[in-house]
Amino acid sequence: MDRRLILKLIASGGALTAVPSSAWAQAYGKEPQRATHHPTPGSKGSLPLSTEESLMAEIEDLRAATQARRKHYCHLDQPKWPDGVKMAVNFTVDVDTVLSRRANDEPPMQLAKGEFGGRVGSWRMLELFERHGVVGTFFTPGRTVDLYPTVLREIVDQGHELADHMWEHYVPSDPVAARDHMLRTRDALTDVAGRPPVGTRSNFSQDLVLEMGYIYNSHGFSAPLPNMMMSGGRELLNLPVHLAIDDAMYFNFGWLGSGPAAQRLSEQETVLDIWWQAFLQQYKAGGYLNIALHPFLVGHAARIAMLDELINRMKSLPGVWFASSAEVANHCLALPNQAFVCTEE
Amino acid sequence: MPWKSGYTISDEIGLSDDEVVWPHGMRCAFSVTVALSTATLSEGITARDLSGDDAELCFGAGLDALLGVLDRFDIRATFAVPAVIAAVESDTVRRLADAGHEIAALGFRHEDPAELPPEVEQVRLEATIQAIQNATGSVPTGWFGLPRQADQYATGSVSPNTVDLLLEAGFDYLGNGMADDAPHYWVTDPSRPKSLLTMPYSYHSDDQFFLQFPPFALRAGSGIEHPEVLSSNWRTEFSAQYERGRMFTMTLHPHLIGVLHRITTLEDFFAFVKEKDDVWIATAAQCAKHWHEQYPPETHLRLEPSTWKAYPDDLG
Repeated sequence: MDRRLILKLIASGGALTAVPSSAWAQAYGKEPQRATHHPTPGSKGSLPLSTEESLMAEIEDLRAATQARRKHYCHLDQPKWPDGVKMAVNFTVDVDTVLSRRANDEPPMQLAKGEFGGRVGSWRMLELFERHGVVGTFFTPGRTVDLYPTVLREIVDQGHELADHMWEHYVPSDPVAARDHMLRTRDALTDVAGRPPVGTRSNFSQDLVLEMGYIYNSHGFSAPLPNMMMSGGRELLNLPVHLAIDDAMYFNFGWLGSGPAAQRLSEQETVLDIWWQAFLQQYKAGGYLNIALHPFLVGHAARIAMLDELINRMKSLPGVWFASSAEVANHCLALPNQAFVCTEE
Repeated sequence: MPWKSGYTISDEIGLSDDEVVWPHGMRCAFSVTVALSTATLSEGITARDLSGDDAELCFGAGLDALLGVLDRFDIRATFAVPAVIAAVESDTVRRLADAGHEIAALGFRHEDPAELPPEVEQVRLEATIQAIQNATGSVPTGWFGLPRQADQYATGSVSPNTVDLLLEAGFDYLGNGMADDAPHYWVTDPSRPKSLLTMPYSYHSDDQFFLQFPPFALRAGSGIEHPEVLSSNWRTEFSAQYERGRMFTMTLHPHLIGVLHRITTLEDFFAFVKEKDDVWIATAAQCAKHWHEQYPPETHLRLEPSTWKAYPDDLG
């Protein structure tokens, strides 16, 4: 085989771009893509035997990917929360209801399962938050205003944040359609809230997110603290959310088409314990915890009881700030520039 | 609600806890569904499913043990029975009915009807009513489309026509739905409106997803035994529903729950429930009758005109 071709193959196999993992990409509405198989360079049947030169090329290829990745992130060293605050807890509620299931063309009873979130679960979350004086962020697909307008108005009336979560819970691959979806959602949520949203949880391009005037995204987890994502010389704040602190990973049978063998059926006590340990770890560090919830899952009675207990425990410690994503973002963006540490060129 | 067919099946806001009342001043309703089926795949019960150990357990020792526990705790359950079982195990099904349990339908052979043409589904539905009537002397008033272990989604299945066919055939309720954790109405025509009462189901209180799951039939490795998760789900959900004064439902399979340590898990849970003296233990049919009287759709189904705006890239 031609040597240049070999190097080209190695290069294409090792290219690492700063995109979220496939699970997140699908969860936040990217069109599913087929996984491509990358043979190990030098393995039997793919490429000829390794030479000193080709091995060096492999290292250089991965060095280039690493350098490109490092340029993508600027990390917060110290959040310097407001006086008296030790840690920020940010409840983020994805008001998915039926829309993601409809977008995935799932069967009627799956839609009904999502409907629980709109009819029942969202109301229970509001009751719970009100009882505890907790403010959260509700990431809402724009179309939800045509399905559950009453609860959305109540969310706003109770002082919570409404933020973008796509139009019908997917990001069109066509950039014109993608922009259209973002505008529709912004208009729909502005109508309900009386003011435009300031953030998103989605995989729209960073340029598009910035064009909408949004000050943050909340997807993926590259560090426990909020961080800046650099793209084309422009920055956008990310409020990291971890899959282990997402109710769907424990309670959503059939998540993104996962089959019965990958069933997700944890009991409440286990999840309570995991989340409490995660909270304590960040509490000691004076950090941040983003808790991602779906009303169609966590809105079930036993899980509302679990969240009630979790919040009670958190409130038993001093200095816990229950903040919306917008509040966390505004705080972080007001920090001096040097608070975010970028990799030196 | 702002109605949107193809997206929603019920109204915009579920009945609040305060609105829900049960007969005799009881605080909470409690209903047990038993799926009398060994079906694993979407085609429903096959000859193979009735040939091996599981079937022997389901209609033999497992069922006897389960009936013993139900009896000891004075619980009348709703048995969801496929037509083929009513036909080939008619003595057993009659015995269940004679013991005071409700016999409801579970499809012709507990199949997924999603792909059936309406005229075919109708013939199978009518044959199911007939088979159950032959076994018990009564027509079933409830219809179930419960999930099987190999289903992609643990939600149960209906076709686009099932609910209308059930209404035409005079059924009082659909036994498993997920849009609420109390009974609610499944709307097929918002203009009249036309709807069928639907009972709540949840996979986190269905034994088949916790006991040696996933099953060998899926060729997905050996199943994992999690009776403690099942038991914890039952207890925490029952306690939470009791607090709210709503409804608790659970789904059992005789060949799964009816043996060994699993029987003890079930007994312990029933004993836990029986510690409360204001729980209304009722069959699905009894709950449906109460709901129809207390919350008829004419006064309690709250549908608003659609506000849906069409866009060229709508999902269709």
